[in-house]
Amino acid sequence: MIAKAPRSPRSAARAVACALLAIGSACMTAQPPSPVVAPAPRPALRIRDIALEGDARRRASTQLVVDALDSEMRGDARIAVARYEDALKIDANNPFAALAFARFEVFAGDADRGLAYLDRYEALAGARADSAAHVAGLRGAALARLGKRALALPYLEEASALAPTVWGDQRLDARELR
Amino acid sequence: MRGSGRARARIVAVPRLLGIALFLASSAAGGIVGHELAQLDRIVRARFEGTLFRVPSRVLSAPLILYPGLDYKLIDLRGTLERLGYREASGESLPLGRYRMSERELRIHRRAFEHPSRAEPARLVSLQLSGRSIDAIRDLQTKREIGALFLEPEAVGAYYGPDREQRELVRVAEIPKQMTDAVMAVEDQRFYSHIGLDFWRIGGAMAANLRAGSVVQGGSTLTQQLVKNFFLTPDRQLKRKLEEAAMALIVEARYEKDAILEAYLNEIYLGQRGATQVHGIGEAARFYFGKPVRDLSLSECALIAGLIQSPNRLSPHRSQQAATERRDLVLRLMLQQAKITQAEFAEAAAEPLRVATITPDLRDARFFLDALRRELPNYYSEVNLAAEGLRIYSTLDLRLQRAASRVVREELERLEKSTRALAPKDGQRLEACLVALRPQTGEVLALVGGRDYAASQFDRCTQARRPAGSLFKAFVYAAALEPANGAPTITLASWLDDSALLVPVWRGNWAPQNFDHQFHGVVPVRTAFEKSYNVASARLGQTIGIARVREMAQRLGVESPLPNVPSLALGSADVTPLELARAYATFASGGIRPRVRTFEDVIDPQGESLERQPIEFERVLDSGTAFLVTSLLQGVVERGTGAGIRAAGVRGPVAGKTGTSNEERDAWFAGFTPEMVVVLWVGFDEPRSLGQAAARIAVPIWAHFVKETTGDEVAGEFPVPGDVAALEIDPATGAIALDGCPERRAEYFLRGTEPVETCPQWRGAPTPPPLAPALPPREAPLAKPPRADDEPGLMERFRRWLEDE
Repeated sequence: MIAKAPRSPRSAARAVACALLAIGSACMTAQPPSPVVAPAPRPALRIRDIALEGDARRRASTQLVVDALDSEMRGDARIAVARYEDALKIDANNPFAALAFARFEVFAGDADRGLAYLDRYEALAGARADSAAHVAGLRGAALARLGKRALALPYLEEASALAPTVWGDQRLDARELR
Repeated sequence: MRGSGRARARIVAVPRLLGIALFLASSAAGGIVGHELAQLDRIVRARFEGTLFRVPSRVLSAPLILYPGLDYKLIDLRGTLERLGYREASGESLPLGRYRMSERELRIHRRAFEHPSRAEPARLVSLQLSGRSIDAIRDLQTKREIGALFLEPEAVGAYYGPDREQRELVRVAEIPKQMTDAVMAVEDQRFYSHIGLDFWRIGGAMAANLRAGSVVQGGSTLTQQLVKNFFLTPDRQLKRKLEEAAMALIVEARYEKDAILEAYLNEIYLGQRGATQVHGIGEAARFYFGKPVRDLSLSECALIAGLIQSPNRLSPHRSQQAATERRDLVLRLMLQQAKITQAEFAEAAAEPLRVATITPDLRDARFFLDALRRELPNYYSEVNLAAEGLRIYSTLDLRLQRAASRVVREELERLEKSTRALAPKDGQRLEACLVALRPQTGEVLALVGGRDYAASQFDRCTQARRPAGSLFKAFVYAAALEPANGAPTITLASWLDDSALLVPVWRGNWAPQNFDHQFHGVVPVRTAFEKSYNVASARLGQTIGIARVREMAQRLGVESPLPNVPSLALGSADVTPLELARAYATFASGGIRPRVRTFEDVIDPQGESLERQPIEFERVLDSGTAFLVTSLLQGVVERGTGAGIRAAGVRGPVAGKTGTSNEERDAWFAGFTPEMVVVLWVGFDEPRSLGQAAARIAVPIWAHFVKETTGDEVAGEFPVPGDVAALEIDPATGAIALDGCPERRAEYFLRGTEPVETCPQWRGAPTPPPLAPALPPREAPLAKPPRADDEPGLMERFRRWLEDE
């Protein structure tokens, strides 16, 4: 019988540490490979809720964004585009014009342009918690439209987790953004 | 018997022969007349059933958008309303096309207008004014506040044929009855009952002429006048009169009265606008009253009808009295013929004559019109544009265009007077070009291709290629700041070497010089850029490689051929101002390169869209690098060669770069605010030295234009993108500045490229060793600094500790 050598306190600490590390590693590997860390749902941005943000110029521009979304809801894409452009003419730095235009381009125009507008929105708005779902969802939808499904999926999952009622169908309608 | 029989037979044969001869003669005459009539009929049908009118295509400006917060004085709102044909109301009521302005309120009864994407109904609105700005806009009919109000686009110009006739076609159904009544009352009161010739009127005219002993009155009907204008010369020969009568009869036989009236009202000559002839009541309504024909009042209809007799002699622009007397005559005739009531007569006759100011074609906008035509597909040839009556909705902002033309003209005159080297010599005058774009949408807002279109139609903004000089340095620094292979070549805290440089080229060595002919040693990146040091920039170009500089310029929007030579870093390549405007717009819009647009829509006379130029853009540079370059360009305006902008009183976010080519032959300033990019070039067409740098020549003109169009305070901001971090650094070392560091200034870095060392004087914990020395200046790419996520995390360090054990 081989007697076990008495463990030094250091060895004991090491064993405990190993156990902790093992548990930690197991926990880490048990996570899904997706970068999405199941965020908690939160209210998603609606343009009408922020229509009174900013100075008079910003508000006038945002009002045109609302008009553009209304035009889209009526099925008049041409007028909607003109209104989005007008919103940018009044206030080129209105992030909500960039966001709404991004949505339009992603679903009804050019997905690449949608991504460019989305970048612009992020540059202008910074990290707004209420738009995180839209940013992730629009990026995912744009990537999906560009045929990059694997890249798109984590973003769409993130959007769906953040705003399940809005992004559950992987789309953002004009009505939902308005 | 036989003889008498022969004689009798001869007697009988004479009348028979005469009869035959008569028959033959009349047959021949009839044949000739018939042939003539058939000829005339063919001519009439060819005209009426072919293209009745050649209508020049018209170019319209972008609509003016009014919104709360807008400085209405800056945009000269009252002047704009007047140019659009709005008149200040005097009484209580506010009819369509009128406005009333007080210190606190502007009420406008805006007319309806057509637009492919911004069609608007008539609207009665109230603008609350406060100081210089609009506080709120309220629709007085719905009692609701509205975010923005659109005013109809202004006419920029048209593509005329050689005849220079301008007309706006109107359908008879769109013409107010009082307009047709007025015309018929004074020109042809029995139009709807005669057959093309009015014998009562002819008789009356003949009697009047006999009494006077000369031709004082005409008896022509509207149909005859139309025929004369369409097909015949104005002389009064009998043959011509007979042809006119015959053709009038043919026209009446073949076509409906309303069709004839419509043709007449669109054809009739009604005045002169400079070299352009005003034809038709649609164009006349715009020319004299600045409004569509459907909105004309009775008094205005009567005035236009009265002009037909002698448009230039009776023009209200020439004689208010003659025009008013003629108008009143028409109104009296209408009253006599029971077309109007006594009350209507009294009201119209009492209406003061208020005509629109003549807005001659913007001659300097011709450069823009030419550029627009080159943007259109080949189908839109000069011939087609001069005939097809298209409406082209352009991107031009007429306020900016007017300001640009005026500023360029005034400033060039000032420079010529103040500087001997710039005075006209050998028939050469100083020239300039100014192009303004909206960076986010690529719209050309103003374009002045030269100081005088009449003297030279060569557009220096789109057709001239000139050395860009130091404007190119922005591309060099962009290429150096952009991460390549994981790391940028420089950060904004780096230092550059501005000592003598010798670059071997195929014919010896190239030794760039600074403007002041001195070397400045080791200098911070910002200083090198702001002071436009050539040697430091040339060396940076060598470090990153000219191929990358070239690739960056092309990516940002430069399309001209770029030689692969060391001097490219200093802007030795010839490029157009418009290309540079697009490239700088890419910085202004955060790395998104816009497609340059001169128009939005081309609409045919039936209202169908034929051509559309949507917003198009592409991300070509990451937003962080674009921001860093913008920040460098802001430094030029704050402390560098563009400081004249601030000295001129322009406040707010402005970024830009001066450029002076070899021997000071070209002076440039390319700059932008958050909402407008403006590129300005000054030089001679046959290059010769200006004797001064761009800071003295181009910067003041640029500042003048921007100050005049945006006011003293530029609106907006350059937003800091998420991938850029701001840190306080020690300017001497480029290290992080913490407590104890003697100097500090804020600096921007792409995330992951921030310095990790702290300044030597920091009194805190020891700092990790620097990754790369901040001094001397780096010419090779920096080693990639560790990113936060490259550093070992807690779990990794724990694992290493266990392994060590």
